[in-house]
Amino acid sequence: MLWPDIVGFITHVLSRHRFRTIVLWVAIAIGVVAVNLLTALGEGAKSFVLKEFNVLGRNTLIVLPGKKETTGGMPPITGESPRPLTLKDAASVSRLSSVKAVAPIVVGNLEASYAGKIREVLTVGSSRDFFTIRQLNVAQGQMLPALDLDKSEAVCVIGNKLRQELFKNQSALGQWIRLADTRFRVIGVLKQGGTSFGFDMDDVIIIPVANAQSLFNVDGLFRLFTEVRIYQELDNVKRAIVELLKERHEGEEDITVISQDAMLSSVQEILDTLTIAVAGIASISMIVAGILIMNMMMITVSQRVKEIGLLKALGATSSTVRVLFLCEAGLIASMASVSGLLLSYLVILLANMYFSDIQFYSPWWAQCGSILLAVLFALLFSWLPAQRASTLSPVEALQGKQQKEMT
Amino acid sequence: MNWVDSGRWVFSSVLNHRSRSLLTALGMAIGIASVTLLTAIGEGVQQYVLDSFSQFGARIIAINPGLKETHGSGGLLSSVRPLTLRDAQALKQLTGVEKVVPVVQGSGVVEFINRQRSGIILGVGPDMSDAWGFKVAQGHFFSGNLEDARSTAVLGHTMKKELFGETSPLGQHIRVGGQRFRVIGTIEKKGQMLGFDMDDTIYIPAQNGLQLFNRESLMEINVVFSANTSLRSIEKRIKQIMIDRHGREDVTLTTQNDMLESMGKILSILKLSVGALGAISLLVGAVGILAIMTTTVRERTAEVGLLRAIGADKKTILSLFLGEAIVLALLGGIFGLFLLLMLTGLLQLFLPGLPVTFNLFFLSLALFMSAAIGLVAGVFPAGQAANLDPIKALHEE
Repeated sequence: MLWPDIVGFITHVLSRHRFRTIVLWVAIAIGVVAVNLLTALGEGAKSFVLKEFNVLGRNTLIVLPGKKETTGGMPPITGESPRPLTLKDAASVSRLSSVKAVAPIVVGNLEASYAGKIREVLTVGSSRDFFTIRQLNVAQGQMLPALDLDKSEAVCVIGNKLRQELFKNQSALGQWIRLADTRFRVIGVLKQGGTSFGFDMDDVIIIPVANAQSLFNVDGLFRLFTEVRIYQELDNVKRAIVELLKERHEGEEDITVISQDAMLSSVQEILDTLTIAVAGIASISMIVAGILIMNMMMITVSQRVKEIGLLKALGATSSTVRVLFLCEAGLIASMASVSGLLLSYLVILLANMYFSDIQFYSPWWAQCGSILLAVLFALLFSWLPAQRASTLSPVEALQGKQQKEMT
Repeated sequence: MNWVDSGRWVFSSVLNHRSRSLLTALGMAIGIASVTLLTAIGEGVQQYVLDSFSQFGARIIAINPGLKETHGSGGLLSSVRPLTLRDAQALKQLTGVEKVVPVVQGSGVVEFINRQRSGIILGVGPDMSDAWGFKVAQGHFFSGNLEDARSTAVLGHTMKKELFGETSPLGQHIRVGGQRFRVIGTIEKKGQMLGFDMDDTIYIPAQNGLQLFNRESLMEINVVFSANTSLRSIEKRIKQIMIDRHGREDVTLTTQNDMLESMGKILSILKLSVGALGAISLLVGAVGILAIMTTTVRERTAEVGLLRAIGADKKTILSLFLGEAIVLALLGGIFGLFLLLMLTGLLQLFLPGLPVTFNLFFLSLALFMSAAIGLVAGVFPAGQAANLDPIKALHEE
C-alpha cells in the first residue's frame, strides 16, 4: 500500500467509527491539556515569585552580619552578630572601585504621630542610594538628601498609605511628623508600590540611617545593600567585600554576602522541581489513555476480522496490516494532542487576560513532551492489537473466524 | 428478573469479555491508585508538619515586641519599646504560667582551642529544654534565674561534634563571639526546624545573649501555661500585665492554635489540589468506561432486543448495564488499592523518608468514588440500551 492509500484508508475508518474516534480523541486531549496547563500554572507561579523577589535588581549584593557554616539552610536572617556591621564598614565598602552605591539599612517599628493621630509604622533608616537600589520613586517632593552616612538630618519620606492615614487629603510635604521623641519634616511621598519581601512599602517611613541608629540606639546595621557597577563583576566584588570586611573585623569572617541570583536560584530550583513533578503526575493520565487506546484497538481488530482477511487476500503483507493499525492510533493521538495543545493555548491566553499581573506560559519542553508522550503511548499500546491483526490467517479471517477469542 | 439473575447476567457479561474488562479496570485502577497515593502523601506531609509544630506543646504562646504583625519578623527588628528580661520575669510570676522562655537569636563564631565553627547562637532561659521538648543528651541544662548571666553554654548536636568530636565537652571552656563560656551540657539531635538547623546551634543564657549582641530587647518570649488554665484567660492576663508594665499594648501574642490553624488551612488546600491532580487520570479512566460500555451496548443490541421481547422493561435493561459499569469501575477500584499497596511498598523501599499516611476513610472513599464514577460513566450507554426499539434491536445482526 502506498502512503496516500494508507492515510485515505485510515481517515475513512476514523470517520466511519465516529464515536470511537471522539472518545479516544477526548481521552488523549485531556492528558495533553492537563500537562500543558499545569506546567503553565507552575511557570506562572515561578515568574510571579521571581518578580516579587526581583525588586532589587541583578546587580545587588546583600551583606548580612553573622555567618553560618551549615549550608543549604536559611542565611542568618536574624541579623544579630557579636560584632556588628557598622556605618564605617558601609563607607569602606562604598569606596571599593566596582561598587556603584551602598544602602545601609536599619529597620524597626516606631509610632508615628501627627496632630493627635498615631500609627505604628515600619521605619527604615537608609541613604539616598536606597531609592535607586530598591527602585522606589517619589510621587511628591523628593528623595532623602545625599548626606554622608554618619550625618543626620530630621527629614523623612513616607509611604502613600501612611500619608493617607495621617494627612487624609491635606498636603503632607513640609509637615512635621513625630517619631518616638523626635520630629521629622516630610520631604517626599513614595509612589504606590505594594508589598515585597514581606514589607509593605506603602506603610513605611524612610529616614536617614544616622537618625535611625540614634532612635533605636543601635550601632549595627540590619543589612547592607550594595549595587555593583557591572554584573559580570558580581562574584569578584562579593569576594572583595568579604576580604575587606574580614580585614576590618580583625581577620574574622563574620558576615554573609548573598546575591540576588543565589537567593533566587534556590527558590527557582524548588519551583522547577514542583512543576516537573506536577507535569509528571498529569502525564499518568496519558498512560490511562494509552490503556483505553489498547482496549479500543483490540475491539476494532476483532470487529474488523473480515476486512483484515480481505486486505490480506488482496495481497497486503502482515507488516502492512500492522502499519495500518499503528498509524490509526498514531494519527488519532497526534491530532488529539495538537488540538489539546491549541485548547491549552486558548485557556492560557484567557488566563493571561484575566490575571494581568501573572504571566502564564507553558514551556517548550512541556509542549513537545506532551505531544511526544501522547503519540509514543498510543503507538506503544496499539502495538499488541496491531500485532494480533497482522498475524491473522487470511483464509480464516475471511470466513470471520478468529484464531482465538480475544474480545 | 430478580437480583440473583441480574447479578449473574452482569458478572457473566464482565467475565465473557475478559481482556476488555481487565483493561478497562486497569485504566480505572491507575486513576484510583494515583488519587489515593497522592492524597496519602499529602496527608503524610500535613501530619509531619503539624507534628513538628506541636512538639513545642499545645499550651505555648509566643510574645513578640511591636503591635504590628510583620509576618513574624517583629522580633528581628529594632524597637524603641523593648521586651526585656524583666518582662519575662514578671510573666513568670503570673498565675497559670508554668514556664517562660526568653529568646534572642543571632549567629557568630564558637571557638575551642584551635577549632572554630560559625553557627546560630540562641540566648534562652533555663526553662527552654522543658518548654520546647529538647532533651539533654549529656550534662544538664541551665538552672537558676532567667535573668542570670552565668556564662555557661549548652551545645547542639552538630556543634558538639564539630568542636569536640567524640570527646566529652563537659566542663570545657569555649569562646563564643570572643567571650568565655563553660560547656555544661549537650542537646540530642533535633534536625531542621522551619529552616533553622537546631543542631548547629549553641544555647547560652538570654542575659549573655543580650550582652553579646548588644541589644536591649528580646526577640520573643515563649510562655507555657498550665493545663487547668484556659487559653483565653491567660491571653487576657498576659496582655494586661504587658499593658501595666509598658503603659500601652505594644506586643503581639501568637498562640499555638493560631499557628496550627493557618498552617492547617494551607496544607489542606495543598492536599486537595494534589488529590485533584490525580483525579485527571481518574477522569480519563471514566472516559474509558464510557467508551467500552457504549461499544458493548452496540455489540449486544440483539441481546437487548431479546431481553425486551421476553418481557424485561426499560428499567431492568438500564439497571443491568448500569450494574455492569459499576462492577467494572469497582473492579478498577479494588485493583487500584492493590496497585497502591505495591507502590507504597516501593516508595518505602526507595524513599523511606517520605511520610505517607493512610486514612481508612479515604480508602473506602476511593472505593465508593470508583463506584460513583462507574455509575456516572454508565448512564449514557445504559440509557442508549434501554431506549432501543425492541423490534429493531431483534432484527440487528
